[in-house]
Amino acid sequence: MSKRKMLAAEEDLANKVAELAEKRGLTVYQTVNDILEQAIRAEEQGLNLKEAVDRRGDMEHAREMGLTFTVEHLYYQVVDAAYSKDKERIRQLWSDMGLWYGKYFKNKGGEPVKGLTEALGFLTHGSQFTAERGKPDELIVSCINERYSRGYTEVFATFIEAAFQVLGYKTLENEASRGIIRIRLAKE
Amino acid sequence: MTKKQPEDTKLLMLPSELVDRLRDASSRNGTSLSGYAIEVLEEALRAEKLGARLGEAVEAYRMDEIHRGAGAMVVPRSSLGHLVEDLNGHGENISAIWEEAGRWYGRFLTGKLAGDEVMPFLRRDLLTSWNLDEVEISDGDDAVLRFTGFGMSEEFTKLLLSYVHGLMESLGYAEVEIDSLRGMATIKYIRHKM
Repeated sequence: MSKRKMLAAEEDLANKVAELAEKRGLTVYQTVNDILEQAIRAEEQGLNLKEAVDRRGDMEHAREMGLTFTVEHLYYQVVDAAYSKDKERIRQLWSDMGLWYGKYFKNKGGEPVKGLTEALGFLTHGSQFTAERGKPDELIVSCINERYSRGYTEVFATFIEAAFQVLGYKTLENEASRGIIRIRLAKE
Repeated sequence: MTKKQPEDTKLLMLPSELVDRLRDASSRNGTSLSGYAIEVLEEALRAEKLGARLGEAVEAYRMDEIHRGAGAMVVPRSSLGHLVEDLNGHGENISAIWEEAGRWYGRFLTGKLAGDEVMPFLRRDLLTSWNLDEVEISDGDDAVLRFTGFGMSEEFTKLLLSYVHGLMESLGYAEVEIDSLRGMATIKYIRHKM
């Protein structure tokens, strides 16, 4: 049997670890060992534990919202191909999706604008995305990504507009040119 | 077992081997051993609150990093479904570009992961990225890939088959038999002679 060492932990933390161990049907010793082993392995791979747990939260949230991963350049190709065939239909499709997401955050309670803004931040990872208060009751949403295709820029702008519309915002300006979206909204 | 200590602290027992590795890890992080261990335990409890074990959170993070490194983006799943159905039968060679994407991703994974990590990673990746309900991949010279997605459309199934075809080909496997229906497939492969 290996020689054991002791680690001092605050009572509250130690109790929570003990509860976790009970839930897993393991001893506290086995549970602590298991957790630290995982952490060391992650650390040895150069991964940041806090970021990993944060990302896990984001991914779980994304899954709940029906988001998935796809290959970026393929997605733009598919959107552009469909958009060039029938602009109105594809625009309507994105508008419907935006309305759905707006309604999702509205019905979820809490702070729907904050929830939607965070979700848009997640959706636009890798882009320069901001949603800032302009004049009182105004919101300026902008998104810049040089990789966005023209078609995708236009439909994504429609999506954003529709999502905020459900939360009581009307569009004052919507400027969308390839890779750049700027939408000025006002609370109705 | 925990032992009650003064000042609202308890002692947790650790094997000395782990303490040595913890000491190395904490010194790489510029923290004390106990500070590092406490931080790890707190993160593990936070992960648990999010419904995951720490190891699962780490795996998911690694997968996310690989996806993003491979040029993936997050999109509403429904948009992809509608678009694929919309373009189906319009003469678009969507399957061909997805097959090429699979081929590229296979090569990317080969460069990114150790040989024995690729198939286990791929199994988890397909489950997550394609929102599948089941994926099994047996490795070896005669490999078998089986997937099930109960809610998957016929168009999406075709797309996934094209993607997997390109992916497995770039990993050195040639298809010898495909048995597929909407939302499910079993594909048998033999490994190319290198």
